[in-house]
Amino acid sequence: MSPECSLMFPRRLGCHVRHVPHLMTTVVLMIVASWSGVVSGETPPPPAVCSLEDRFFEDEVWAKVGERTCLRCHHSRGDAAESGFLLTRRTSENPAWLQDNCKTFQKMAMTLEGDKSKLLLKVTGGLDHGGGQVLKPDSTGYRILERYVRRLSPAKDVSIPAETIAQYNVRPFFEGVIMTSPRRLLRRVTLSLAARLPTASELTAVDQRGQEAMDSILDGILQEQAFYDRLKEGFNDIFLTIGIEDNAETLLSYDHFEKTRLWYDKHDLSHVPEAERQRARWKLADVYRDALLREPLELITHIVRNNRPFSELVTADYIMVSPYTARGYGIFDEIKDQFKDPENPFEYIPARLKALKGRDGKTQESATGMYPHAGFLSTFHYLRRYPSTETNRNRLRARMLYQHFLGIDIMQLAPRVTDAAAVAAKYEIPTMQAADCVVCHKTIDPVAGLFQDYNFEGGVGPRKAGWYTDMFKAGFEGESMPAEERWRAPQWLAQRVVKDPRFPVAMVEHVYYILFGRKVLQLPDDIDDPMFNARRRGYVAQRQLIEQVASRFTKENFNLKVAFKALINSEFYRVDGLAVANADSHRRAELDDVGLTRLLSPEQMERKLNAIFGKRWGRLDDSMKVLYGGIDSITVTERNADPSGAMGAIQRLLANDVACYHVARDFRRDAAERLLFPRIEQTDLPGDDAANLKIKQAIVDLHQRLLGHERAVDHPEIERTFQLFTGVLADVKAQGRFEPRETYFCGGREEFRTEDPHYSVRAWRGVVTYLLRQHEFLYE
Amino acid sequence: MSRRTFLKLCSLAGLGFAAPVDVTSLLYAKERNDSAGYGGPYYIVFNASGGWDTTYMMDPKGIEGINRLYKDEEIVTIGKHRIAPIKKHIEKGMSNEDFFAKYGPELRVLNGMDLSVNNHSPCARYMATGKLDSLAYPTFPALVAACHGSAAPLAFLTFGNYSATGNLVPMSRVPYLQSLNLLAKADSVEGNERAPYHDPFVSDRIERALEQQFESRVGEARLPRVERSQSMLYSAQVNSKALQRVVPFIPKEVAKERLAQQADIALASFKAGVCVSANLSIGQFDSHNNNDPDQMKLIPEFLAGIDYVMRKSEDLQIREKLIVIVQSEMGRTPTYNTGNGKDHWSINSIMFLGMGITGDLVIGATDEKQQAVPINPQSLALDKENGIRARPEHIHLALREFAGIQDHPFSKQFPLEVPAKEKLQSFWN
Repeated sequence: MSPECSLMFPRRLGCHVRHVPHLMTTVVLMIVASWSGVVSGETPPPPAVCSLEDRFFEDEVWAKVGERTCLRCHHSRGDAAESGFLLTRRTSENPAWLQDNCKTFQKMAMTLEGDKSKLLLKVTGGLDHGGGQVLKPDSTGYRILERYVRRLSPAKDVSIPAETIAQYNVRPFFEGVIMTSPRRLLRRVTLSLAARLPTASELTAVDQRGQEAMDSILDGILQEQAFYDRLKEGFNDIFLTIGIEDNAETLLSYDHFEKTRLWYDKHDLSHVPEAERQRARWKLADVYRDALLREPLELITHIVRNNRPFSELVTADYIMVSPYTARGYGIFDEIKDQFKDPENPFEYIPARLKALKGRDGKTQESATGMYPHAGFLSTFHYLRRYPSTETNRNRLRARMLYQHFLGIDIMQLAPRVTDAAAVAAKYEIPTMQAADCVVCHKTIDPVAGLFQDYNFEGGVGPRKAGWYTDMFKAGFEGESMPAEERWRAPQWLAQRVVKDPRFPVAMVEHVYYILFGRKVLQLPDDIDDPMFNARRRGYVAQRQLIEQVASRFTKENFNLKVAFKALINSEFYRVDGLAVANADSHRRAELDDVGLTRLLSPEQMERKLNAIFGKRWGRLDDSMKVLYGGIDSITVTERNADPSGAMGAIQRLLANDVACYHVARDFRRDAAERLLFPRIEQTDLPGDDAANLKIKQAIVDLHQRLLGHERAVDHPEIERTFQLFTGVLADVKAQGRFEPRETYFCGGREEFRTEDPHYSVRAWRGVVTYLLRQHEFLYE
Repeated sequence: MSRRTFLKLCSLAGLGFAAPVDVTSLLYAKERNDSAGYGGPYYIVFNASGGWDTTYMMDPKGIEGINRLYKDEEIVTIGKHRIAPIKKHIEKGMSNEDFFAKYGPELRVLNGMDLSVNNHSPCARYMATGKLDSLAYPTFPALVAACHGSAAPLAFLTFGNYSATGNLVPMSRVPYLQSLNLLAKADSVEGNERAPYHDPFVSDRIERALEQQFESRVGEARLPRVERSQSMLYSAQVNSKALQRVVPFIPKEVAKERLAQQADIALASFKAGVCVSANLSIGQFDSHNNNDPDQMKLIPEFLAGIDYVMRKSEDLQIREKLIVIVQSEMGRTPTYNTGNGKDHWSINSIMFLGMGITGDLVIGATDEKQQAVPINPQSLALDKENGIRARPEHIHLALREFAGIQDHPFSKQFPLEVPAKEKLQSFWN
């Protein structure tokens, strides 16, 4: 067995359970009341009409057995495509998909073999079921089918337990869920995607036109540079292409770029004083490396910024280069006139490479004389980030292709064989001979073969001994790649990937991840969980959204902005809370994942601080980034979703430090220029109603700016903050003596000193610290 | 707010029932801020990331070309352990001979564990959680941290390896030792305790206002996700103050070795009572090319790291409360490939030592082809005919029992599918 023989891939990649579509539907299902067992071989009566009174078929048979177990193979492209038991995924082209499945199940259930339903015999491995035993007789799934078969007979038990009926009494998914106001939605979006607070004109627009105004506002936001920075950050979370351990110039192979990739070594720096020249050269190299690492993400921004089809992610017949990286490729002189500023290391333009020429003088095979660019699939960065080995044989690359571009994680649900080591020992080529291996390797290995002309490190370099003959031949999803296409194999693959219906779904799932900070829901695992149906309903509702957006994204020529806008305008993104507390466990399980509620990443937090205070904190950018749940794209590749105690300490530090820096400074500005205290002075102290009202209005301002809440002065949270402010002043008054100036560190240090004779500056600092530690500030 | 009041509020809000996080113990650390904190046992999982060669460690072969560095007759026996002789092949670190001589009497080894998969991600997941086909299950260290002390500020520390938490407890990454210093003094300017940001009475006011706000929200209509995140945030901030206790135990100098660096952070956190479990990990064991030189470099480094932890924990007087699990996500093939490397192998080993574990014992075995030999789950004796293949779920069930968490609601939330007749009896006796 090859060491990478998975033995754990889903039986068919094309029918990964996460993508088994289904939906709570309005299709009416009614199990026909007449039962007539059909003896094997005889034609059963015309299919009964599946219409409805209970939801037994959809919520039990289909949800817990059909889509999870049978559909893996029993569909038109599955391993059981030749069987007479073909099921259908939910599809917008066929609204009656569930009804069709119901009929198929019903027919199988009613067909008898001897005195037993063929359905029950097959699932337990009888009647030479190709998939063997898929349900044990004592399993929950089998018992559901047993009951299903019984229910088709009016003479037998057809009663529905009361609790089952109650469970199925579902209401509209978002019933009782409050949507956020247009103003708050606007703030959410501008902070998330544009790294700023809403402008006055945007606020006016939503005040006047409500949600409707969001469309045009979004059009503007999605053109801002900050959005593209966010886009790159989000997609790096997914592709991790900046996570290259070596110096970035090694992405350009020694064999093909020997004379150009280290251009900075010979770059003319004669204008720099000799004493500083070496340092300048090091800096030049650093900038160049940074520019190189950014290239794949710049491809994404180029596509989106220019409203190009996002399918170019894998089909682009160009790469993005900057003046610095173009030098690395040796094409700067050819294209330098196309740059607006040839000295700007981070100005990127599309470019094409010629077929690569090796040190041995041989030129890469190419029918056009050009390098076969295919978006990410042929970039050295992507191929290096997911390298290969002599034994891996590009299977990692194939796996990532499925994960990144088709939304299939083939390592996710790993079926196992009884004894993998024994299988390995028994077969000479297990991946081509052992059934347990073949089911997946016949899909994954052909894709691995499509990368055969790239070496382990991602450069062009076919294996000297030729591609492996003990692997399935190069191809994609059952289609072999013609030999004459080999020179452009990544392009051949890309053309097929973007036509696959899973591609747009995967892209929308990426956008969902960027917006929500978490992956889409998985189909719940445990069919014995009493909350299974409720959880599944939550999953289905979300799935429906993803598929709807994917459909629209496809119709709009894969314009990624369409996906952003559609998801932002969706109820899932706009959810703000519950109208009334709901203790019903089923309802709570349904809504378990609903609501944006996302802990801000270190990068997001810095941007938010900059937007609100006009200055980044700076400490989350570097030393505390990983500590605060961030990633380094190499060893730490997943963000923390929940705060640990260490992160709680950072939040305290952040709140203390940011308040320390800004409060006294803000009071020093003219009122009109203040960001925090535009309507209050440090001499305004609690007293009569008017004085207190003024302080409360200042607190309202702070809640609005820091937390995004538009609260009235009599709101309990305003009152709580007021009590904090006045309580601090009361405490200090009771204390009698105190330093009449703000501390050295928070009062300006060497820059200025802040007199604070009433302790009010420090009290306001306490208030700001308090607000910065709140959920509304630290979460999106 | 007292713990009792807090629990009552949670109960009223239905939190204890529906929320997957341990919100019912949120105030654990708050109550213990002035005490010694979590007092053990402390769990450390050492992970040889990439797949170790068990035949160069605790499951030697010396036959059939399985190894090239020694022959069968050279295999060393120390107590009941049979180990691969590597001392003459290593340049630095700790040899098997020295490691087993020192710790063999305390070491319990299981050989011949069958994963029946052989890719990194599923194997790592399976070894860490005992569940192969779910991404939702927590790793053992995360689970035990959640059950024993989820509110400890660094309850579950991880330095790599598969670290899923099942949403039971936040994971903490503390990459640098000195970070702990800063975090421990978050209320002081640049960690200078003589320069607090706020006067004490202001800090008290802030904390009370946050507490009142948290209390007031318990009865509000909130989405489950909001409830969870508000609870976790509040607990993270409140409990983070316990990090002050770490300061006295932070070594003045940063260790040079990879595992020692991680160990110093974990041990200081254990000693301070702010941590329940830690994942320590070093990589590069995936020796597809030149297996022997790679493994001879990494195994000694790995063993030296374990030795470091044991010695340091003794200095800190917590060794007797330490429970150590030593593992890798897979083994390596009984044959060499054309690059003198060894590929992935689904038969693996695992070792345990520490508090309450009787050592000098080897359970299970592999045969001359490095295939797993079944064991009798009752007697743990080899039983080729009627035995079972020991798999990660068997080991994890035993671990849960050992940690006394098998009946904890969190464990029940993530059941292990082990038939009663396959349960390993007396695994720890």
